[in-house]
Amino acid sequence: MMDASERLRRPAYLRIWGALLVPLFLAAAYLGLVWSPQDVNQGNLIRIMYAHVSVAWIGFVAVGFTALFGALFLWRGKRRDDVLAAASGEMALLYSSLTIIGGMTYSRPTLNTFWTWDAKLTLTALMVALLVGYFIVRALVDDPVRRGRVSAVVAIVVAASLPFNYLAAEWFRTLHPSRSIALDGSGVTMAPEMLFTLLFTTVVAGLIYAWFMVDRARLGHIEAQLEAERAKRELGAAPSAGGVVRV
Amino acid sequence: MSAQHAIELRALVRGYGRRAVLKGLDLELSPGKVVALFGVNGAGKTTLLRLLATRLRPSDGKALVFGHDVVRDGHEVRKRIATLAVFGGAYATLTAREHLHLDAALRERAVGNADALLERVGLTDAKDALVRTYSSGMRKRLGLARLLAADARLWLLDEPHAALDHDGQDLLDELVRGARERGVTVLMATHERQRSRALSDASLLLDDGRLRRLEPEAAP
Amino acid sequence: MNDLLAVLWIARKDLLHETRSKATTVATLFFSAVTLVVLAFAIGQDEQLLRGAATGALWVAIAFAGVISAAQSYQADLEDGAFDHLLTTPVPRAAVYLGKLLANWLFMLVLSLLMLPVTFVLYGAGFPGAWPWLLATVALGTLGFALIAVFYAGLTANLRARESLLPVLMFPIVVPILLASVRASGALVGVGDLELAQGWLRLLVAFDLVYAVLCTAIYHFVVEE
Repeated sequence: MMDASERLRRPAYLRIWGALLVPLFLAAAYLGLVWSPQDVNQGNLIRIMYAHVSVAWIGFVAVGFTALFGALFLWRGKRRDDVLAAASGEMALLYSSLTIIGGMTYSRPTLNTFWTWDAKLTLTALMVALLVGYFIVRALVDDPVRRGRVSAVVAIVVAASLPFNYLAAEWFRTLHPSRSIALDGSGVTMAPEMLFTLLFTTVVAGLIYAWFMVDRARLGHIEAQLEAERAKRELGAAPSAGGVVRV
Repeated sequence: MSAQHAIELRALVRGYGRRAVLKGLDLELSPGKVVALFGVNGAGKTTLLRLLATRLRPSDGKALVFGHDVVRDGHEVRKRIATLAVFGGAYATLTAREHLHLDAALRERAVGNADALLERVGLTDAKDALVRTYSSGMRKRLGLARLLAADARLWLLDEPHAALDHDGQDLLDELVRGARERGVTVLMATHERQRSRALSDASLLLDDGRLRRLEPEAAP
Repeated sequence: MNDLLAVLWIARKDLLHETRSKATTVATLFFSAVTLVVLAFAIGQDEQLLRGAATGALWVAIAFAGVISAAQSYQADLEDGAFDHLLTTPVPRAAVYLGKLLANWLFMLVLSLLMLPVTFVLYGAGFPGAWPWLLATVALGTLGFALIAVFYAGLTANLRARESLLPVLMFPIVVPILLASVRASGALVGVGDLELAQGWLRLLVAFDLVYAVLCTAIYHFVVEE
């Protein structure tokens, strides 16, 4: 067995990657808050969008990866895939919750209300509900293999529902034309500085997501190893003490 | 790979959550044998039977039925087995006869003579009554009829004697002997020491998650 | 061909269960009728308001009944280990899913057809001229519900807290079905806007197709342990 502290040490590439995230985050904040020009219509409010939209996009990507790792687990049965799926799911839940908070922050000054039935905000609220369901299922199954398989099935069904939920929410809104402004600025030609800032913040949000996911999966993997070792110990020293029984 | 064995277990482990129930079983069971499986409540008898019936996945190790892996070739395994559940495994809102038709559709085979089969297990009078009106012994008898109709090469019986009356137990013994003559392999989890020993070629004991043979080859 | 026979027998088994346990089946039907009455009470006397809420109330009643009936169909399976026994036979898991789906869909269709006139009477909505389109909406909408309900009810059947877990898992998934069904039938009943209804119907068809393939393909992961 490995030494405990040795095992818990973060590998070098993760430490470098993590250290790089700090200046990247600060750079993104500078670009969004200072460097980017004001929007013609929305003024400084456009700056909320950089954090909000990038987080929302990565949240969707995270749900997709949860389903992808789940499918891999169903296919190959490697414990690592399930651990990655769960880690990605946790980040998806975090990012979609942040998206809702961001959306409310944006709605309050622009629409004078915290909640609007905007398509993307509605979709994100549904996504939070779906992810909560995913984690309830995970909590209810004790056997690790069955937990991985059942939750992978849920993740796949959830990911498949997102396009439909998006379409329904989009059409639902067009029947009730609200004053909400498309949050991703589609149809609006953006200044190149704005576009660059948005892409930059999205990349940084993606790197942050990936770092936390990989690190969380690392811990999850250690957890799984300890669990397996404990199970082995319980079985006793000799795996088949009596030899093969023949009839 | 090893089609010569009806059942082959290799370091088979199965747990529920953190509790290991089967802690490494190694077994080679030749075709045509009738084997009794003993063990206290919770020893893992039903777990082993459900694992062989492809209803549970091994946590570790392998289980093969006629050379087919229960995880990878589940479908091939299911083609060769028939099971008898503790409580009969019947639907309360179907009749005995409907069960035989349902099974025939599921197993992709002709229904055959359902009436004769039901007469054999003593359910003639009740064959068109809903199973929910049956006693537990009658449900077990229906289970026996379904077992016979399946025409399988391996029988997995979970406490087959339980709930049956004296005649029913005699009938069961007779059916198992008949199956043995046809070359069917039988593995039965049981607490009926005397009947099972008289019936079987060998007795196995599940104790503390491990398997051992109870006695040398007994004459049938 | 043989698999089709298995599908039909599994559907038959579930439908026989519905007709032979009359008390439960009638209770489910009555439950959706009561839902319609209670919602009508809650909305109040305003005829305009009632008429506008008619299709929404109808689909809420159908959705609640659908969850209950899907959960109940597995309840019968779990008694005496009957489902476990069924799954030890070489029947393809996809056939099990499709059989249960067929039974559940038929039950929900019957339920919806019974609730349609109740809704029209209680909510004072006029029966639409384009009634074949309304029937198509009902058929496609209930199929979408049944697809998800039968799938997730199988998944939750062996879990703790299944009663509350099933709606929690299932309702966020069927939001598009609910919206599309309400909007399509609303367009038909209220203004008779066929074009609008057809747009929503296309969404229903796409949803049904995608989930029919997906759920059939991965159902075997749901029923194994």
